[in-house]
Formats: sequence, structure tokens, C-alpha cells
Amino acid sequence: MSTQFLLITAVAAPLIAVLFIPLIGKFSKQARNVLSLIAAVVPFIACAILAFAVLKGDSPEPVLFFGLALKADMLAVFMGLVSSFLSSLIILYSFDYISHYRDQNEYYFMVVLFLGAMMGLVFSSNLILLYVFWEITAITSWRLIGFFRDREYVLKADKAFLVTAFGALAMLIGFIMIYQTTGSFDLAAIKENLKTSPIANLAVLLILAGIFSKSATLPFHTWLPDAGVAPSPVTALLHAAILVKIGVYVFARLFLATFNMEQFWHTVVPVIAFLSAIISAGAAFIETDLKRLIAFSTISQIGFIFFGLAIGNEMAVVGGLLYILMHGIAKAGLFLCAGIIEQNTKIRDITKLGGLIKTMPVTAIAFLLCSFSVMGIPPFGGFFSKYLVFSGAIKSGHLFITAAFLVAAFMTILYLFRVFNMVFLGEARSPQVKEASPTMVFTVASLGVLSLISGILVWYPYKFVQDAVWQMMGMVK
Amino acid sequence: MTQNLLFLPIIIPLAAAIICILTPRNLRPAQAMIALAATLINLLISAALWGRQISFSAPWLGIGFEFSLRLYHFSAFIMLSVASFGFLVTLYSTVFMRDRNSLGQFYAYFLLTLSFAAGAVLADNLLVLLLFWEGLLLALFGMIIIGNKSAFKTATKAFIIVGITDLCMMTGIALTGKLAGTLTMSQINLPLGGLGSVAFILLMIGAISKGGAMPFHTWIPDAAVDAPLPFMALVPAALEKLLGIYFLTRISLDLFQLNPGSWVSVLLMTIGAVTIILAVMMALVQKDYKRLLSYHAISQVGYMILGIGTAVPAGIIGGLFHMINNALYKSCLFLTGGSVEKQAGTTNLEELGGLRSRMPVTFACFVITALAISGVPPFNGFFSRELVYDGALSRGCIFYVAAVAGSFFTAASFLKLGHAAFLGKINDKNKGVKEASFAMLFPMMVIALICVLFGLYNYLPINKLIQPVLGEARLEGHDYSGFPHNITLVLVTVIVLIGALANHIFGVKRTGAGLKAVDHIHYAPGLSQIYSMAEKRYFDPYEIGMKFAQFAARIIWRIDRAIDWVYDSLLTGAAHAFSKVIRGMHTGYYPVYIAWSILGTAAVLLFALK
Repeated sequence: MSTQFLLITAVAAPLIAVLFIPLIGKFSKQARNVLSLIAAVVPFIACAILAFAVLKGDSPEPVLFFGLALKADMLAVFMGLVSSFLSSLIILYSFDYISHYRDQNEYYFMVVLFLGAMMGLVFSSNLILLYVFWEITAITSWRLIGFFRDREYVLKADKAFLVTAFGALAMLIGFIMIYQTTGSFDLAAIKENLKTSPIANLAVLLILAGIFSKSATLPFHTWLPDAGVAPSPVTALLHAAILVKIGVYVFARLFLATFNMEQFWHTVVPVIAFLSAIISAGAAFIETDLKRLIAFSTISQIGFIFFGLAIGNEMAVVGGLLYILMHGIAKAGLFLCAGIIEQNTKIRDITKLGGLIKTMPVTAIAFLLCSFSVMGIPPFGGFFSKYLVFSGAIKSGHLFITAAFLVAAFMTILYLFRVFNMVFLGEARSPQVKEASPTMVFTVASLGVLSLISGILVWYPYKFVQDAVWQMMGMVK
Repeated sequence: MTQNLLFLPIIIPLAAAIICILTPRNLRPAQAMIALAATLINLLISAALWGRQISFSAPWLGIGFEFSLRLYHFSAFIMLSVASFGFLVTLYSTVFMRDRNSLGQFYAYFLLTLSFAAGAVLADNLLVLLLFWEGLLLALFGMIIIGNKSAFKTATKAFIIVGITDLCMMTGIALTGKLAGTLTMSQINLPLGGLGSVAFILLMIGAISKGGAMPFHTWIPDAAVDAPLPFMALVPAALEKLLGIYFLTRISLDLFQLNPGSWVSVLLMTIGAVTIILAVMMALVQKDYKRLLSYHAISQVGYMILGIGTAVPAGIIGGLFHMINNALYKSCLFLTGGSVEKQAGTTNLEELGGLRSRMPVTFACFVITALAISGVPPFNGFFSRELVYDGALSRGCIFYVAAVAGSFFTAASFLKLGHAAFLGKINDKNKGVKEASFAMLFPMMVIALICVLFGLYNYLPINKLIQPVLGEARLEGHDYSGFPHNITLVLVTVIVLIGALANHIFGVKRTGAGLKAVDHIHYAPGLSQIYSMAEKRYFDPYEIGMKFAQFAARIIWRIDRAIDWVYDSLLTGAAHAFSKVIRGMHTGYYPVYIAWSILGTAAVLLFALK
């Protein structure tokens, strides 16, 4: 099988499956669910095979139409692997979660379409193609956040859409500015043209507005906690694992792999990232709605990722990219645990929960394991990414901003323990409910265990990411 | 092949821990036996490794992270101590914990602690060290949480305090890596000053927080009440001191060049002196056997930090000798507390008394170790204290005075404890109390015996274990074993101890009860208010920190809501207002529309013609 074909499969499989999902859903729910899962697993397998190919130095670049092309390098394959893997788990979890709601066909349609757009986005080698997929993800997430049709939920979905869409428009203008200086939307051509000179500051600013709005970074972050009204698997998909990582990915793709920014952006971005991290961490310490709280935590952690990427030396970027993986696993686990709690108790206010560890031990342990990873406790995966980011920042001499991020890391420990204690320990204030269905519990348990294993076997993702960074920054092995 | 031997002290307890947690509940005796066998094998291996020098290194993560372990005299010495305490306390636990719940978890965390402790001591790469170091934190959390139903609050407190300090240590390690260009501990030797001092202090925070010094101590007295007692005897009393002081010594002697002139040295001594005094003052007024001991566990670490902080050979040797001595007598004291708890059913001193005749062996062990901790010659604590005094005096009178005052209160509080628990009239409830079983007595007797041995033959530990750590160059030919050479200091010590005894007799005469022997200090004007505020945790840095975090978070929350208001109200409001104006222009009146069209066309024409 040629790698070109594999790459097209990875992007096309979900996009083609989407056409059939509502149709098949008319006849059999079972078949529809299985098809959705296959639509997520196929890209994962394709990416896994591609990973070996790109490790050997292959980089397939199939041209689609109008000269628009896809391209698989190590960074793209890494993102593709993380997204398709987490999506598969989340779709598996959805089977039981969503089974008693209306509009299931729409749900699977949107989720798989979202995944297809995500795969397209990471493999785009062209700014226009990237923008198209970017907006498809915005539309699908708008529909998914407003999945429950209550008026206020729909308004929150509108808010999410409007903020990200306005950001995207700003970014589009930035892309056009780049086109004006380089005469091309193709990333490779742009890179060739801008080898020496940094791009205009206004273009950086506009593109950053798009990236920050998508990745929910201050001051464009408030749509993310509001979007907690979505079904829990959707929040896991959008807030934790994939959607918010789009901005981070595009940041790495454009500002690290393709062109340079003026030096002062390497200070400005970490400062914005820090403000975002600390403000949302403080909000997470006060918030009482379980899902909003975890959403604030996501904003905070995204700040750490931007910090690592913006520092820009090898160690920090490796840390930032590993952070995407580790945080994706752990935060998806937290959201899915929250989903189990929410669905079984019908309560989202943590002050009204308590003592659930007795009746939901597996969920509790999974929640704790994922929390440890987010806090950055070794040997959990989150430790290594956090350490690398800090270490890289110190290496570049950003001491004050590192000290500031240290405070944000303290806050992470505080707010995660607060929520764990209030929900799972202490007196039982809520109805004593049982564990969710085996599939759902299996999903969260495997995410919890993965948080641990990704740390113990950190060598493998680390090596891959390091090669990706070398390739991205054009360093010699 | 010999290299792989290094992994055994890490892997054997780890494997046993996994087996323990997987053993079904109805095989409970098996869990204890597995733990006992694993700790015994571990002890034998550690003993077999004694005296060897082995290094192991394998590439791990790139960019200078190697998985390297190194066994040499210092790490072998700490590892052997860890393994010995592990075995003795396990033996004790087989009886003490027999009827408890969550036994599988208890042994699993216990063994994990031993495994990670061995790993932390053997690590020759700072990142590997940190990995095991924080692994200990997880085991600690688990160990406290199984204590009782409300223990999770203490567990959280311990986790947050230690977790935050470990993050500081992580940053310190990153900084050290930048300064030294490597993370291999045996290759680092940095001067202090500037960033070097910052790195040192960050690492020091990790070390002294593990040791339990102020201001990172407040979880220990809470854990004393909540956590299972063997945990207290093993972890805060012995292991954490060994590890914390081991790492402090490594960073002071090897990784950084701590010298007596630097302000960092003064900082360390100040932390040590403050810890000694404040913790012992708290210990003095406790009314619970275990809680009283736990404050001493904090106070004693002050002597070690003071000793090492002096940065002169006498002080460092004293600090290290005190580390091993304290691990011995403090864990033994906790074990006596456990045997009282097991047999009498309580550790509340108000309900105890007169146990001497019922539990003679426990009492004898208590007396020996209490004399040792109070620094009475010729027990081991006396010699290590004298060395610390010697070092402290050479650096400043104030530090010496603090150390000696600490000694006075230590003696006073142990006189009170012994009197209240073992002497006096026996409580009716305790008439039927019997001596504990042999498996519990044996570890106590062994440790008490070592306390005597290390006192009488102090050249054994000092010459064989401690002086090699400093190396010939630092010692300059001196030998610090034997009887203290500064007789004046010994005299002062003896006078202070007699003073403590006189104080006790005075207190007992005054109130008529051993428990109330220090009431004249507790309720002294000025002090009593401070004590009652301390009991309400006004001075607890953790409580203060949490309140501050709450306060800061509330302000941040306002900022966040303000940003949200911009989106939810300001922007939507502006959009509404704008569309209202536009809507007003749509009057539905034809002439107006035609006028707009003509104006528009004119504008386009003007633009095109220009």
C-alpha cells in the first residue's frame, strides 16, 4: 500500500463515512455506531502505519485538486495519531452515553465529520485547505455544543461559534497578508520565500487572534467553559483532546515549522499564555460546576503548551508537543469521568456531591490517575511534558516567566485536589449511584491507566516527538 | 551482571507490593508473610551490597537524561538503614496491623515506599531521583488515606505541601541542569552565588520538606493521629529524615560548594534553629502520645539542618550522626507508642498512666530511647548533639543557644510523656493491660540496643559510616569519634539536663500530676495565648497559604467574569444598538430608499472617476 493512499485514507475515511451514517442510522443503530467507530479507527491505523513510514524519512504528498495538497510529516502524523486515537475512545464511550437522547444520527454525523475535518487540517500543506477544514470544525462544534436544544444552550453554542469564527476571519486576513508577501498559500513555498526575514507583525497578530480564539486562550477563552453544556463526550472531544489543540498545532505548524516571528513575540506569547494559565486556574479554584471547572483547567493547561512552543528551543518544543499528548489523554479522562458522574447523579454542582468513591471506585481511581497526570506528578505522563517545558524555558533564560508558571502549576494541584475531595471523598451528600455501563467505565479506566503508562514508557512518544521537532526545525539528526 | 544487582532493592519491594495488592482479601496472613519475606530479602541484599561501588547507566531520554544509578558508601549506608527499618517495622506490623482493614493496600504502599526510597538513594541522575522522590509522595498519600474516614483531609494536606515543594525541586533541577550542563549528580559541582544560590535553595526546599522541617511540617502532627502507626514509625520518623538529609548533604557537599561564609549557610542554620525551638515548644504541650512524638520528629530535623548548615566538619558530622540516631530512637519511640495503643487501646495521655509494671519491656525501650533523644550521656543522641553544638557555636552564639534550649524542652517533654504514660497511678480501665507480643517487642529491643551501642562505641558509626562521606580533604586529619573534646559544652549540657529534671519535679510538685508537669510553661502569661492560637492553626503555613489562594482566586474570578461580561453583554449590547440604528433607517418609505440609491450611485461614480 502506498503511503500516499494511506494518507488519503486517513483523511477521506471519516469524510466518506459521514455520508452514510445518517442513512444507516435510519435502519440500524448498531450498524451506525459500529460504522462511526470504524470511521475513527481507520484513520488511527492509517496514521500508525504512516508513522513508521515517516520515521524512515518518507513524506507522502498527494495532490488533491486545484493544486491543493496534503502532506504527512512527523508533526502531522503525531497530531493525527493523538486525535484519531482519542476520538476512537470517545466514540466508544458515546455508545452508552448518548443512547437515550434524541438526534443520535446528527450526533454521530457531526462527531465523525469533526474528526474528518481534524485529520484534513493536520495534513493540509496549504493555508487555504487548512482554513477550510478549520471552519468545518467550527461549524460541527457549534452544532455539537448546542446538541441539547434548550435555548440557553443554543446561545452558548452561538457564542462559541462567533468567537472562533471571528478569530478565524482575522486569521484569514493574516493568511492573505502572507500571500501578498510570498505569492503563495503553499506552506513549502512560503517557507522557501521567508527563509530569512520574519513575517510582518500585523500578520502575526491576526493569525494569533485566530489561534488563541480556537485554543481558548485569554482574552478569547470564555466560550470554552460555557460550552460545557454539551454532552460530556463532546466536551472531551472538543475541549480536551482535539478542538483546542487545533490552535496549538497551527501555532507549531506556522510559527515553528514554516516561518519566523520577530524575537519579541517569543516573550509576548509566553506572557499571554501565563495570564491565561493563571486566570483560568484561579477561576477553576472558585467554579463549582464540575464540567466548567475542568474546562477552566483545560484553558490553564493550554497556557503551558503555548509557553513551551513559544519558547522555541528544542527541549521546550518537545515538551510542548508531548504536553498535547499527555494532556489530551488525561483531560479526556477527566471529562469522561465527569460525564459518568453527571449522567448518574444528575448533578453537576460539586458542592452537592461527595463520597462517590464508595459506589464508583473505578471512576474515582481513574479520575485520580488523570488528575495526577495533569498536576505533573511523576511517573505520570504529565510530569515529563511539564518538566521539559520548564527545563527548556530555563535553558533559554526565561527565569521570571518560569517562576510565574510555577505558581500556575501550584494552582493546578490545589484546584484538582479540591474537586477530587469534594466529589469523591467526604460525606455522601448526593444519591448513592452505581458505576456506569461497563463500556463507559472501561473507557475512563483505560485513559487513567494510559496516563500512568504514558509516563512509565515515555521513551517511545518522547523519541517520536523529538524526531518530529528535529524534522520541523530542520536540524540534523 | 553486578550492575543489575543495583535494581534488586528497587524491584523486589515493587514486585512484592504488586503481589500484595493483587492478593485476595481472604488470604490476609499471606500478605503479611509476603511483605516480611520481601523486606528480609531486601535487607540481605542491601547488606550484601555494602562496601561495593557499582555504577549503572543506560541512555533514557535524549538531551542528557540518562537512567543512572550509583552505589557508593553514602548511598549504601542510607540504603542499608532503609532496608533495616523496613524489615523491623514490617515485623512489627504483622502483629500491629493484623485486624485492620485495607491490609493489602497498607503493605503495598509500605513496600512501594521502600522501593522508591531505595531508588531515590541510588539515583545518580537528578531526574531519576525526582522520579522516585515523587513516587514516595504517591505512596505517602495512599498510606495516610487508608488511616480512617476523615484521613483524606490530612492526606490532601500532605500531598499539597509536598507536591508543591517537589515542583520547586523540579524547577531547581532544571536550573541546575542549565548551570552544570548535565544532570548526572556525580559530575555536578557548582559554586553558589547568583543563579547557583537560587538553584540550591529550590533543591533545598525539596530536601527539607521531605525531612519535615518548618515551614513544610504541618501535615506530620495531623498524620500522626490519622495514619497507621507503623507508617509513622517508618516514614516521617525514619525514612523521610534519612532521605531528606541525604539529599541535603549531597547538595551541600557534592552538588554545590556550600561554605561557611555564604548567606545560604546562614539561611539553613536559621531554618534549623527555628524548627528546633518552635516544634519542641509545640511538642511540650501535647496531650497525645503520637502527636507529641510527631512534633519531636519535626524538632529533631532542625538539629540535622542546623548541623549541616554550619558547613564546618564538626557540624556536618553531627548532623549526619544525628540523622541516623534520630531515625533509630524516633522510630523506636513511635513503636513504643504503637504497643501502648495496641495494648491499652488509646494514646491519649489523660487516659494512660502506670503502665510500667504492665509493660516492662516497652517501658525499658522507652526509657533508653527517651534518654537518647534527650541527649543524656552515654547514649547516641548525646554525642551527635555535642557535635552539632560544637559546629553551631563556631558559627554564632545564637544558634548554639537555640540548640541548647531545644535540648532543655526535649528533655522536659519526655519527662512529662514518660511520667504520664508509664508512671503514676494506673487507670482502672488499664488494669488488664498486658505486654505486647514478641514480634512487636523484638524490633523495639533491637533498635534500643543499637542506640546504646552507637553511644558507647560511637567510633563505629562515625568512622565507618559518616566520616567517609566528608572525605579526607574536609576532615583535615581530625577524628570526631570518642568523647567530646570540648568539656565546657558537655558541662553546659549536663546543667541543662539537670535543669530540665528540676523543672519537671517542680511542675509535678505544683500540680501533682506528670501530665501537668509543664503547665507552668504552657499557661505562662503571653505564652498561653500564643499556644491557643497555634492550636487553632493560626500559624499553620498551609492554612495561611490556602486562605491566600482562596483570596487570590476570588480576585482572579472577578477578572475572568469581567472578560466574560465583555462578550455576553458589552459586545452583544453594542451589536443590538448598532442594528437598532440601522433598523431605524428602514422606514418602508419609497422616496427614502430612492434617495439612498442615488446617493450610493453618486458615491461609486465619484470613486470610479477619481
